[in-house]
Amino acid sequence: MKTSVLTLAAVAATALTGPAFADKLDDIISSGTLRCAVVLDFPPMGSRDADNNPQGFDVDYCNDLAAALGVTAEVVETTFPERIPALVSGQVDVAVASTSDTLERAKTVGFTIPYYAFENAVTANEGVEMSTWEDLKGKTVGATAGTYEAIWLEGKVKEWGEGEFRPYQNQADVFLALSQGQLDATVSTVEVAEANVDSGNFPGIKIVDKAPMVPDYVALIALREDQGLINYMNLFINQQVRTGRYAELYAKWVGEGEPASLVIPGVYR
Amino acid sequence: MFNYRFQWNQAWKRLPEMLDGAVVTMQVAVLSMVIGILLAILLTLFRRSGSRILSGIATTWVEIARNTPALFQIYMAHFGLAGLGLHLSPYQSLLLGITFNNAGYLAENFRGALKAIPDTQPRAGRSLGMSDLQAFRYIILPQMIRISFPTITNQMVWAVLMTSLGVTVGMNMDLYGVTQDLNALTFRTFELFAMAAVIFYVIVKIIQAGAWLISRRLFRY
Repeated sequence: MKTSVLTLAAVAATALTGPAFADKLDDIISSGTLRCAVVLDFPPMGSRDADNNPQGFDVDYCNDLAAALGVTAEVVETTFPERIPALVSGQVDVAVASTSDTLERAKTVGFTIPYYAFENAVTANEGVEMSTWEDLKGKTVGATAGTYEAIWLEGKVKEWGEGEFRPYQNQADVFLALSQGQLDATVSTVEVAEANVDSGNFPGIKIVDKAPMVPDYVALIALREDQGLINYMNLFINQQVRTGRYAELYAKWVGEGEPASLVIPGVYR
Repeated sequence: MFNYRFQWNQAWKRLPEMLDGAVVTMQVAVLSMVIGILLAILLTLFRRSGSRILSGIATTWVEIARNTPALFQIYMAHFGLAGLGLHLSPYQSLLLGITFNNAGYLAENFRGALKAIPDTQPRAGRSLGMSDLQAFRYIILPQMIRISFPTITNQMVWAVLMTSLGVTVGMNMDLYGVTQDLNALTFRTFELFAMAAVIFYVIVKIIQAGAWLISRRLFRY
């Protein structure tokens, strides 16, 4: 009799604690907090307002995701190179940080479907004669370390075999160097280029041309094995577009016009 | 929680690129030390000169070099000087920043070493008909270098490690810069930076071993 009571208690305890397999999605829901890595040096995607609070497209996107999950959002500021350590060491659950979805990177972390697509622009110092992107050849150029456009630009400089490439640690340093004439030109997203030219913080720079890259599709990232979470976020991104929230955030942070299409013609996904 | 599977072969195949970076790192460190030691000797002479202007220059240099972050000094060598219209490449900025730092620290080390040399020695030299500069060159300098040799080695180690600050001014040829570039490409953060750390460690050990051999050879009594 005594044994059977104990057994019953044990069975009940097991049933109450639920299955031993709780994935990241469960962890987030039960903890009540979604921790997002966001780069806050990348306007209009991420920056700080006058009161030093995080703001921008990515910040709102994180808030929306948290709202969908029914938890509170916690924005953790990272630089581009720090996104992965923050994710892997468990400081954040996801990175909403304009991460370009390259195949090389997808070997290390898990990508969702794209949630935004950038076009890139060439911005030059006004003292430099440039009319098209091809004039980048042979110039001293730079971009923000760890970004898609930096990888592209460095590849181009190597391919041309002339000129010099310099990666700076953040967007502000790139535009400071450009404004000072340390750099002849830079490649950045159109959004960033326009925001920095309009800000008036960096006199003597002008947007020259679009850069001829395929659109830079960016995705949310999580650990590769957190498939449940990635699955949820794929649906979330779909819903953001479906409900018009994507267009709304675009209008709020980027400006007039249509946001880039996230559909790649001629392929399933 | 550390949820990560290490893939060492991914980093291993980047080793040649990283070793190329290590060569640049060594080059910057050695150059900054050679120039730094010469400048530190000059600053030491300035301080001994008795001229208020010269010793003022030396004191200001040492104060700034020792009491501000090296990061700040390198950043200023790039963006600060550019604001004044002087454009230095990332390599030059890094070299200038570290050299400035080295000279400041070494000058202070030399000052300490000088205190260990009795004042009577240069005076004895003077009484033998040496000029002030000769007494410094033949009596004080060799002893000063000998006494401060361990701190020179230390500074050399610092110089190597400080090259990692070059990324703040757009440097991507040195060991740290190369590693960061590869990280952006592959996101293999932990493998790549662990390997960079090992390479830094080995470089520092080689410097220490080299310094020990040199000191055994040069400073036999």
